[in-house]
Amino acid sequence: MRQGFFRRNATMVIVLGLIAVLGVIGWITMGQQPFVRTALSGLTIGALYFMVASGLTLIFGLMDVLNFAHGTMFMLGAYLGWQFYTNPTFLFGLFPLVLALLAGLVTSPILRGAFMHLKVSEKAQKTIQTAVALTGIAVIVLAVRGLDILGLAKTAMVATMTMGNPLAEASAQEPLALFWFRPVLMFIAGLLLATASARPGDQTQVVYASDKRRAWIITGSLLVLTVIATVFRESAPNAVLLWNGNLRFFAALVVGALCGAGLGAAVEVSLIRPLYIRPLYQVIVTLGLAYVLRETIQVLWDPLAYQMTRPPMFSQPGKAENILAWFSGQNLTVDVLGVTFPSYRLFIIVLGVLMVIALGLLMNYSRLGMIIRAGVQDRTMVEALGINVRRVFTIVFMLGAGLAALGGIGAAPFIPVQPNMGDAFQLQAFIVVVIGGMGSYSGAAIGALLLGLARAFGDYLALKYSLSPAIAEASTVIIMAIVLLVRPAGLFGKKE
Amino acid sequence: MAEAKSDLTAAPNRFTSAVKSLRSEWLGLAVILLLALFPFLFGWFSGTSVQDGPSKFWQGQLITFFIMAVYAMSYDLLIGYTGILSFGHAAFFGGGAYAMGLFLTHIGPKIIGSYKITIGSADITEVLVLVAAIFLVVVVVTLLGLLFSVVSARIKGVYFAMISLAMAEAIHILSKATDFGKWTGADEGLHGVPVPLWLNPTQHRLLFYFVALAFCVIMYLIARRLVDSPTGRVFVALRENESRVRMIGYNPVTYRTLSFVIAAVIAGLAGGLFAIWNMGATPSMTSALTTINALIMTILGGIGTLIGPILGAGLMQIVGQFFYQWFGARWPLVFGLIFIALVLFLPYGVIGTYRLKRLEWKHGWQRLRELVAGKR
Repeated sequence: MRQGFFRRNATMVIVLGLIAVLGVIGWITMGQQPFVRTALSGLTIGALYFMVASGLTLIFGLMDVLNFAHGTMFMLGAYLGWQFYTNPTFLFGLFPLVLALLAGLVTSPILRGAFMHLKVSEKAQKTIQTAVALTGIAVIVLAVRGLDILGLAKTAMVATMTMGNPLAEASAQEPLALFWFRPVLMFIAGLLLATASARPGDQTQVVYASDKRRAWIITGSLLVLTVIATVFRESAPNAVLLWNGNLRFFAALVVGALCGAGLGAAVEVSLIRPLYIRPLYQVIVTLGLAYVLRETIQVLWDPLAYQMTRPPMFSQPGKAENILAWFSGQNLTVDVLGVTFPSYRLFIIVLGVLMVIALGLLMNYSRLGMIIRAGVQDRTMVEALGINVRRVFTIVFMLGAGLAALGGIGAAPFIPVQPNMGDAFQLQAFIVVVIGGMGSYSGAAIGALLLGLARAFGDYLALKYSLSPAIAEASTVIIMAIVLLVRPAGLFGKKE
Repeated sequence: MAEAKSDLTAAPNRFTSAVKSLRSEWLGLAVILLLALFPFLFGWFSGTSVQDGPSKFWQGQLITFFIMAVYAMSYDLLIGYTGILSFGHAAFFGGGAYAMGLFLTHIGPKIIGSYKITIGSADITEVLVLVAAIFLVVVVVTLLGLLFSVVSARIKGVYFAMISLAMAEAIHILSKATDFGKWTGADEGLHGVPVPLWLNPTQHRLLFYFVALAFCVIMYLIARRLVDSPTGRVFVALRENESRVRMIGYNPVTYRTLSFVIAAVIAGLAGGLFAIWNMGATPSMTSALTTINALIMTILGGIGTLIGPILGAGLMQIVGQFFYQWFGARWPLVFGLIFIALVLFLPYGVIGTYRLKRLEWKHGWQRLRELVAGKR
């Protein structure tokens, strides 16, 4: 039993052993304090790398999509979480619109049943479809145009904040008398797009009664939610801002991750799904998406860099003697083995470890994880077993984007929030994925650990020999090259 | 029409084929002629001087277009013809630009200062320095191309896409590293590169315009010759089915390396010319965005064609100029949206779609003519 364990996990044991040996050598040559400091910052970066790389590796392993927009998801998560934390007005103003659009979109099965039997010639079908879809997009533009997105984004920046107790102010929302027509228009746009996707006149489709019933229920509840969100749109930001800063921060983590997941789902359904027959174009479309999202962010928030304040939990002045003392003092820094280390970064390490464990449990002990693992091995076989792989694709894309967004909002308090903040992480995540092997989540964990430590110790060495950190950053490519020369499929990748 | 044909059949065979090829290329020739006359035509129509004012500005726009067109074309040789998904093309472009800029800044003046090479009474030192710089660019990007192709020999497909991106990014990071700031200017890049006086793009814009146009045309002809040659056919075969290529007896690695090196050299030369045109080289030339720009131009015009990327570069440069006026500094957003729509709905680009639908349109046009004029 024991021997079998070692044989199965030989690579893992070897890599961890290698890290341990290098660690001992480092400890002896560097001395305790520099070593601990460097190792801790390496773990922090590694945790962030893992959050970006795990989604990337799952998405690639399962559906062969190389997502070049993954770093953008990281960046978006940071922006949205920061926005929620500092001034949620913008998000709450946008929320009813998204809900209304969704409510319209999910009516697709109902509309399909209704319009299926229309007598339309085959040639006209396509024209109608295009025309209706274009009208829908036009209605969306009409609904959003004039919405004070830019103004709202501007107010978020002047939100006053004091150290330790971030106090943000909610700016005024558009009056309801003007606002209500936007969700209505969005709903109509959703209906139009659903009509287009329902392919009116195409009698080859099948509509199940259960689908229809579900669509009715979802549409109804989404409409109710829209109304609620519209009504509470003004008071909700104020209420959120009255929350304790820590609570708001954790809510921001959740909101950032959820927004990222939602966006991931939208991207998969609208952009990736039509292109499964043309894999090259999937890669290209994600590149285009990254380009568009970055520009959009720059339109909304200007191409400046912002700094998110740390939540009060991690920003009380002074130094905690040990981690237990931090729980009562909630200090800015913690003494770890004689090294003064920011407590927030320790939190990131904990978050990363939690994510590794949570993903491990999900992948190994849940039905979804089983399907994902099976799909990575052989997608066609899973499909043949009667599992709706397309839905799993959407879920995995959501999961990956959500994780990346979580990493983004987690990183926001200690790196500047700016439009290209995700690029460096995406690049390193690529390297992590290549090192770890495509589709292997444990490979991503080990790769992230390896690369994070390599970056930290590389920076240390670069500083010691008075070089710039850029050299250390560029040299991670060399690690990748070495691993690939030894094992072209990565450490834990499936052999081709 | 019919009369002209019978006239030509009487002429010698060689002449016929030449005229025939000229006739089939009449559109291209007309465009080149138009571009060559553009500065004068523009000056004539707007009533301004050829040397300055709006004419000079638009010459500048077109110069950038010519250089970017060559760059996008080299990318299409790789992605469209050989089917290698590489996201490291900016390394070649930027590598060429930096090689040119560094040589002209640090080595060129020393040579000019201490040696004087003459033929008869003409001083050709500056020309020789420029030739040496071009030679250096070719050497540097050939080495870079070899480096990338060594990796691509071992790693295929999407893996290679990621690795090429990482390698290009490593070069980007090095290009803005402060360690080499003394030579490369770090974040700022190289500025005020001492370009030979007679080629100075601000003082002799018109000359530079013709140099860039000639560069574009020559590179197009070379690429065209390559693509039509047996080697080019093997490239396309590699894209379509690599194992079959191997079975027929061609070594895929050799041809992939060849494709890489040729694309790298063309891109590097474009980069070198761009460095002279900007009189500098900045880290943005090696950034991933530069690669993405090449990709956008290629997709926009039509992947797997040579005219496509040129057209795409033209659209991006000229239409981008108008977009900038209409939408302000964030015009790439509109461009990106158009790009996504193109990928989803018009995947073969402008040229590709035209070639696909040409027959259809021709039929439609003929039917229309028959309807109007009655049956022939």
